[in-house]
Amino acid sequence: MRKGSKTIHLFLGVLAAMLSFHAGSSSFPAAGADETVSSEHTERMEDSASGRGMPSSGQADPAHSEVDFEHELDGYEPKKNRYNFYFTYKTVHPWWDAVALGMEEAQRQYLKKGITITYEYMAPDAASAEDQKERLLAAQHGAYDVIGVDVADEAAISPVLDRMADSGVKVMTFSSSDAAGGCKRIAYVGNTHNYLDGANLTQALCDRLGYRGKVAILVGSAGAPCHEDRAKGARDTIEKYPDMEIVATEYDMDSVDLAYDLTMQILKDCPDLDGIVCCNMSNPVGAARAVTQTGSDTVIVGMDHDEEALHYLDEGIIYCLGVQDCYSIGFDTIQVAVKIADGNLPGDLFPEKTDERTTIIYQEDAQRLLELLYGDIS
Amino acid sequence: MKRKIRITNKTFVLTAVIGSLLIMEMVMANTIWSTKQTGSATEEAVSAVSSFYLEAMADRRAKIITNQINSTFDEMERALVFIEGEGASSQEELREAIGKVKLLLSISRFALVDEEDIVYTQYTTYTGKSRHDFLAEGKMKGRTISTVTLYDSSRQLCLAIPARDLFIMGKPFKACFVQLDIDAIVDLLAFDDEDGTYFGLYSGNGGNISGTQLGPVILDQNILEATKGVAAADVWERTRKDFAEGRKGSMTFASRDGQETLSYVPVPDTGWEMAVLIRDSVIQDQIRDISEKNLTASRNQIIFAIVAVLLLAVILLWELRRMAAQRLEKEKAASQAFQEMANRDSMTGLWNRHAYYEREAAINQELAEGKLHKLAVVVCDINGLKYVNDTMGHAAGDRLIKDAGAMICGHFTHGDVYRVGGDEFVVLLQGEGYDEMTDVIRELNRRAEANIREGAVVIAAGYAVREQGDGRLHDVFDRADQMMYERKKELKAMGARTRQI
Repeated sequence: MRKGSKTIHLFLGVLAAMLSFHAGSSSFPAAGADETVSSEHTERMEDSASGRGMPSSGQADPAHSEVDFEHELDGYEPKKNRYNFYFTYKTVHPWWDAVALGMEEAQRQYLKKGITITYEYMAPDAASAEDQKERLLAAQHGAYDVIGVDVADEAAISPVLDRMADSGVKVMTFSSSDAAGGCKRIAYVGNTHNYLDGANLTQALCDRLGYRGKVAILVGSAGAPCHEDRAKGARDTIEKYPDMEIVATEYDMDSVDLAYDLTMQILKDCPDLDGIVCCNMSNPVGAARAVTQTGSDTVIVGMDHDEEALHYLDEGIIYCLGVQDCYSIGFDTIQVAVKIADGNLPGDLFPEKTDERTTIIYQEDAQRLLELLYGDIS
Repeated sequence: MKRKIRITNKTFVLTAVIGSLLIMEMVMANTIWSTKQTGSATEEAVSAVSSFYLEAMADRRAKIITNQINSTFDEMERALVFIEGEGASSQEELREAIGKVKLLLSISRFALVDEEDIVYTQYTTYTGKSRHDFLAEGKMKGRTISTVTLYDSSRQLCLAIPARDLFIMGKPFKACFVQLDIDAIVDLLAFDDEDGTYFGLYSGNGGNISGTQLGPVILDQNILEATKGVAAADVWERTRKDFAEGRKGSMTFASRDGQETLSYVPVPDTGWEMAVLIRDSVIQDQIRDISEKNLTASRNQIIFAIVAVLLLAVILLWELRRMAAQRLEKEKAASQAFQEMANRDSMTGLWNRHAYYEREAAINQELAEGKLHKLAVVVCDINGLKYVNDTMGHAAGDRLIKDAGAMICGHFTHGDVYRVGGDEFVVLLQGEGYDEMTDVIRELNRRAEANIREGAVVIAAGYAVREQGDGRLHDVFDRADQMMYERKKELKAMGARTRQI
């Protein structure tokens, strides 16, 4: 008995209830949309029975509790019928694979309209600003309408982007990390509230610990704006509580293995560690492995929806995860890239920064998200 | 000492009835037992047939998937040859070649992978190591089948084959793969879907891959989670192991609306299980219908047999009673005939002396009880019988006796006439005969006197009525007899013949 499209809608409904992404995530604001970053971008699955409060940085807005997963292109009419883009991101990782799926959906929809979009979507096996720089320098000589980058290190990459822009290359940033302030890149699509994500996750940890205890912070790549911003949000939140102390801050360079090693070392140095804030996708996996191995009761909060991390969340090893809407990031990136390729600048057609939401999920949400993202396939 | 068993009619009827009932009961019990046995055997057979039927259905669908997979693998091999033949020297040309392959194979996604795990599709080029499980080191040894779950939870079947000695744009390529939409595969399987029959594709841990609904209990959920606590624990555990280890099997569980049976078979090389579920099975329903019809027919036969046996028993009993009654009647008639023969005078047909004695005894009893008041006795004697015998022979004498009996009977129409001796008759009068006795005697006497002159039979009659003090009939008889002798003398005087003549 085929259930057809109803099944998709059912799943979408479940996702809607779970993720609470805002409805407008895949469409752009109307003319005159401001370029400031909202202070309410991180939502969470509310559970009044658990007594958990909303993060201090914002309240979940019921009006944004649904997501239109069937993304549709906005009404913009592209000027050409062929586009070729180049995108590079931090490292090969499932998080960016989810971004790629959103991109592919946009590409398919353009194709239906008779517009062919081709692109490259490349990354190194390990995050490296130098590698990214080389890719960008090579790409600027290619026949690309727009070059997009998920900035691995804003200090190292922003000047490269400036030079590319000066030489007439249309450059944008996307995904989780923007370039440094003042960079000449044309626009950014992705998480604009990394600081808030870090603060909200840490707030959840503080609530859980009763506002006292020793906490370690794991960061991803040194210099990666998204990771650094989250770490800053975490530090600022912890500093609000006099009985809480940051005992270590370490960088895993987006490597699960390194995150594991670092956590093992921290637990060795500080056996009475109470909590770990994980600022990227690899941090919580490595931390959870170490905590499981040592039998520690350290509370872990972290970012993103790595499958292993979701299993740790399901088992209660990880307390909560901040899940970003990668799919929408990918979809909107292609739309913005087309507009930029046509010579448009931020303003009426698209904002300088297209914001995508993050939702904090807890143990009770893990199974559904596993089913949704990984299909419960053994 | 051997005891004699006396068989009466009652014994016979009782034996017949009890015997019939016992036979009927045995027949009924045997029929019910047979019916139950048949039902039980049918259930078992149906269960076996259902399982076999479901397994066959699952097998058939699994084979379709396998055929589809093998056919696609073969096409991929040809696609690699085609791509190589195209001799693409740039990414643009490669994309164009891939586009042609997609058209040829009618598939939505065909991709090539180079030695650096960069994936080339018609529109995109991307680093795909984390995205495609089969690219993980050491896994790509031959034809590879894996399931891909997209971010929106839709699923695809990924088929990959290694590409040997393939160089494009001066770079070595190691594999190509296609992704088939599982919905399209499911569409292929949705054939001859009878009412109440469901199918679904599941992963090794029970996850629903096809998105199809497997009956009202499992729906589109994880099959193992949905049946946990519904199926018997040991059955569920066996099913879980079968799924995990890629074995075939079946599971039966009760739902609100009846029994549900599912069979599952592994789809080779995919790690999937194809499950087919039948709810209130079509076969089972049909066989149950047949079974119920047979049961109804059996019941009707039993009822018919009971009615027939009862009817037969009633007819037999009626006939038996009828036969008994007829026999009784016949015996009674024979007895009466014997009685008649014993009490009748063979010559005249009148009651004889034996009858007279029986009657005398009965009258004496009535007299003793004071029940009888009006009683008269007439004693008659034939005059001249000796004379006729001697002169005209015994035949004439016999005729005279008969004439005398007829004459007496012709007069005493309301009395019983007995021939108590050779020429002696007695008439017993009661009721109306008693009342008209005087007139009848007078007429008889007149007749006798006339017969003297005519030479016909002459009867001398004397009579007496019961008087107070008469304790026995003989008392009355004696007086009548005395009077008869007196009359005999008187008739002699009138000319009647006597033996002295």
